Amino acid sequence: MLDRNAVTFAAMVLALGATISDAWVTRALAWDDGLYPDLKGQWRVVGGPMRFDPGKPWGPGQEAPLTTEYQAIFEKNLKAQAAGGQGTTPTYTCLSPGMPRVTNGYGQIEFVVTPGTTHILVQHIHDNRRIFTDGRDWSAAMEPSFLGYSIGKWLDTDGVGRYDTLEVETRHFKGPRAFDSSGIPLHEDNQTIVKERIYLDKDDRDVLRNEVTVIDNALTRPWTVLKRYRREPDARPFWREVNCAENNNHVEIGKENYMLSADGLLMPTRKDQAPPDLRYFAQSKP
Amino acid sequence: MLDPSTVGRIARATALGIAAFGIAIGMSADAAQAFDETQYPDWSGQWHRPRGVGIAWDQTKPLGRGQQAPLTPEYQALFEASLADQAKGGQGEDARFTCIPPGMPRIMTIIWPAEFVILPKITYVNFENHMPRRIYTDGRSFPTNEEPSFAGYSIGQWLDTDGDGRYDTLAAETRNLKGPRTFETTGLPLHKDNQTVVKERIALDKSNPDILINEITTIDNALTRPWTVIKKYRRERNFIWFENICAEGNAHVAIGKENYMLSADGLLMPARKNQAPPDLRYFQQSRQ
Repeated sequence: MLDRNAVTFAAMVLALGATISDAWVTRALAWDDGLYPDLKGQWRVVGGPMRFDPGKPWGPGQEAPLTTEYQAIFEKNLKAQAAGGQGTTPTYTCLSPGMPRVTNGYGQIEFVVTPGTTHILVQHIHDNRRIFTDGRDWSAAMEPSFLGYSIGKWLDTDGVGRYDTLEVETRHFKGPRAFDSSGIPLHEDNQTIVKERIYLDKDDRDVLRNEVTVIDNALTRPWTVLKRYRREPDARPFWREVNCAENNNHVEIGKENYMLSADGLLMPTRKDQAPPDLRYFAQSKP
Repeated sequence: MLDPSTVGRIARATALGIAAFGIAIGMSADAAQAFDETQYPDWSGQWHRPRGVGIAWDQTKPLGRGQQAPLTPEYQALFEASLADQAKGGQGEDARFTCIPPGMPRIMTIIWPAEFVILPKITYVNFENHMPRRIYTDGRSFPTNEEPSFAGYSIGQWLDTDGDGRYDTLAAETRNLKGPRTFETTGLPLHKDNQTVVKERIALDKSNPDILINEITTIDNALTRPWTVIKKYRRERNFIWFENICAEGNAHVAIGKENYMLSADGLLMPARKNQAPPDLRYFQQSRQ
């Protein structure tokens, strides 16, 4: 990407000799900023963060193109959730939702564009993404993660000499991950590939679009959804510190999920749930 | 394809030339400086604690009492109680076992690597396992009605201390904090009124550009005087970023005010000798 910057920059310097103006000089200094779209500010998802496809209802209404095997896992998960469990959604323990769920916009979002990296900061624990735009290739030695490893490329799709679209591909995942809070599962092999095209709406520069395509072995075909984020009008927005672990009433012991009551005692999350095994306590049988 | 560092040098050098030319032709100073990254120090890369340096607040002193923190008698007593509880298997004043963030100033111990992203109006400090700090350098004042946070609200100012026309030092002040927070894992406490003010001066070591020096002064009602320590960070130029999630594999279980542990087989177990088990009165089958 830097070589393209250099070419553009060189063109600017050459143009300087023929057409000098304040605007040109400003542009020349802005070689790392003026070439990119203005994504500054705070972004909030349009349509609510609970669904992967914001254009469709929650859960079965998403009509996710799941394989038969994973549709069965999803149905079982819905029953578990209806009974008070968490199903295939592991985030109640404050794990990162990972990709692609982080694109659902459950936290305030900020884009920090620099020439080599675009940072997508999400106000939720530490769900911050780095999208490398420095021309690097995939590393074979990369440790898998919930957010994966993202490589991006800036595109000038309308040929005006400014980038307008960030094209991103993300790989190298670990799990468990789900598409949204209904527990729509991704495959346990974690071979997910997520492709994104992020660009400002041409009719409304305060709306950012993200075309997210997920390729995953739990799906019968690539699943593409369009997400929209709206820029908050406040030029100095309040960034809320969201710490999942703070006041988290979920308690996981072994494979069981319990809750903490208002008086700080352990309580069941579903009818007839057995209490935890206290065999390691000398006084466990009062 | 040009080597990226070569491109960067060419771009920076040319930008400086154009800036000088722009000023010469009467261009506004604001426009000339607006996006010129050469005005700022190069803090790129990944920053670590220096090799051999632990997680003590004052890097030059041992953890705990060895820090010789200037605590008030009340907070010295709280600290001693924290140490005594930790000696018995408890967590004392240190609440990090529940995965709440360390907050300021402890977050700047940089237990896990950090990154500085410098833009004209803001500097981000990105951490592997926490939300970022935003240090605003756009001339704003502290807000009067903002919700407090563990990281607080940071306002900074870039300084050209040696007058060479380039910024070299970021002076930052942080307020509007919430708790509980401690200086370090020993439970060295900050005051529960959360009126802490943290002042930082961050600059590269003039004799080694791969060392960043952070002079941190903490003003807090748990202290008898402002406490200044020097933190050093070491730059790693060839690096990868890891995902570091506190909750993943965290064997601590907080139930009410008690801290328990999970055994390797996933069962609840005491964290200290003779610890009572949790009260199971809300379970119908709690007395088997």
